[in-house]
Amino acid sequence: MAMLTLIRRTFGVMKENGPSHVLSIGTIAVAFFLFAAFLLLPLNFASFLEAWEKKVQIILYLKDGVEEQRILQLKGELQKEEGIREVRYISQRTARESFERDLAGYGGILKGLKEEIFPASFEITMEEHFRTPARIRSLASKLSTIKEAEEVQYGGLWLERFSLFLYILRWSVWILGGVLIIIIISVTANTVRLTLYNKKTEIEILKLVGATDAFVKLPFYLEGGLQGLLGAGGAIVLLLAVFRFFFHKVSPYISLYFGQLRLSFLPPNMIGWILGIGVVSGLLGGLLSLRKAA
Amino acid sequence: MIHFFQVYKTYPGTIKALANISFKIEKGEFVFVTGPSGAGKTTLLKLIIRAERPDRGEILVNKRNVSRLKNSQIPMLRRTIGFVFQDFKLLNNKTVYDNVALVLRAVGHNKREIPKRVRQVLRVVGLEDWVLRQFPLKLSGGEQQRVAIARALINTPSLILADEPTGNLDPELTVEIMNLLQKVNTLGTTVVVATHNTNLVSQYQKRTIPLYRGKMAA
Repeated sequence: MAMLTLIRRTFGVMKENGPSHVLSIGTIAVAFFLFAAFLLLPLNFASFLEAWEKKVQIILYLKDGVEEQRILQLKGELQKEEGIREVRYISQRTARESFERDLAGYGGILKGLKEEIFPASFEITMEEHFRTPARIRSLASKLSTIKEAEEVQYGGLWLERFSLFLYILRWSVWILGGVLIIIIISVTANTVRLTLYNKKTEIEILKLVGATDAFVKLPFYLEGGLQGLLGAGGAIVLLLAVFRFFFHKVSPYISLYFGQLRLSFLPPNMIGWILGIGVVSGLLGGLLSLRKAA
Repeated sequence: MIHFFQVYKTYPGTIKALANISFKIEKGEFVFVTGPSGAGKTTLLKLIIRAERPDRGEILVNKRNVSRLKNSQIPMLRRTIGFVFQDFKLLNNKTVYDNVALVLRAVGHNKREIPKRVRQVLRVVGLEDWVLRQFPLKLSGGEQQRVAIARALINTPSLILADEPTGNLDPELTVEIMNLLQKVNTLGTTVVVATHNTNLVSQYQKRTIPLYRGKMAA
């Protein structure tokens, strides 16, 4: 019963100062939206990276004049190598035909090119668990020691840069999170302070007639907590709407280039944490302003 | 009821508000605290309700030493005291009913009894039921002060402190409010009125505690 009265008083306090509450809940929601979006990005970039890694191949270009028997032997050796799933030999002729096929529109220009200028190569596909930047780099480096290897190519640099970007992004989330929590505390504290100012006489009278500290202050703490909760909740709903739009309208186009993306929204425990951070930082905001003002 | 014993109070900036104040007010008395502006009347009332703490000396209210009261004990002290202000301090965005009921809600009074109790106390101060749903600014100054007195009385305090309760009222309303405070006093409540109005003091022939520049005047 007392709890019900307290909740009613809290909503009463918020209703009386409606526009500033809407404004501060909106500000908190924007701050949380950025935070949640930054949490969502690495989560899905990881799946993007995974999708891209599936397409990663190592191409081992052979020197000219390697004998056919040695080629067969090398193919056998490569297939036995740990982490390699498939090895496909591309002869000089196949390479030229493929090149011609790819540039068919240029017609006669390609005529006269000799197949000797196209190096023979092995296209190597790796086992799934081997498709990490570190393992691909290490395998490529090992393959480059083969005597007959002219050059070993893989999308390594791009992959490594992307991994680094992901790593920085993950750290940025925490830094941004810290900054956002400070913003949320300060926004809530200021709104609660404004409410306190508006209700100065009421608080004075309540104290004078013998209301306990808890009776006077609890609605203001709850006000802060509720603002944080509503702000964080609003941000999650907004992010879900943006995510759904991206999932249905944008991701099919990206999938065309990078294969099927496994996009996922924030898991329930992470949503719980965000709402929890909202409530706690809102309460802290209320606590801060009450310590100074009441 | 109230016992001040060699009380001193200085505000920051070495403004001496009260110095060496000693007096006694018995239960059921009606007392004026008199003196010009800046004499220390409001400070004295604030010390009684522990809105201020004395620098030196002891203050007993209802046998409680308020100068040594813990913060958590202050609400209990204040529940035995009703306070009336010069500017009424009514909440203008709340109805008369809510202004008066606020006190009972704050002290956790039985919810079902609140409406009945509010009506009773408004009748005691001479207000009829029609004012219940009115907002304070719709009422006259005298009616607003009656509502403020009703708010001070609703928790059946043993002591009423009134700080210049007629300061904003014309002579006719002043008499009305003073008569009301007298009526409250005859019902057994101790009343302390702080005022600078010497005519009022001479008109009512009550005991006075005169203050001048923070000291007891001779």
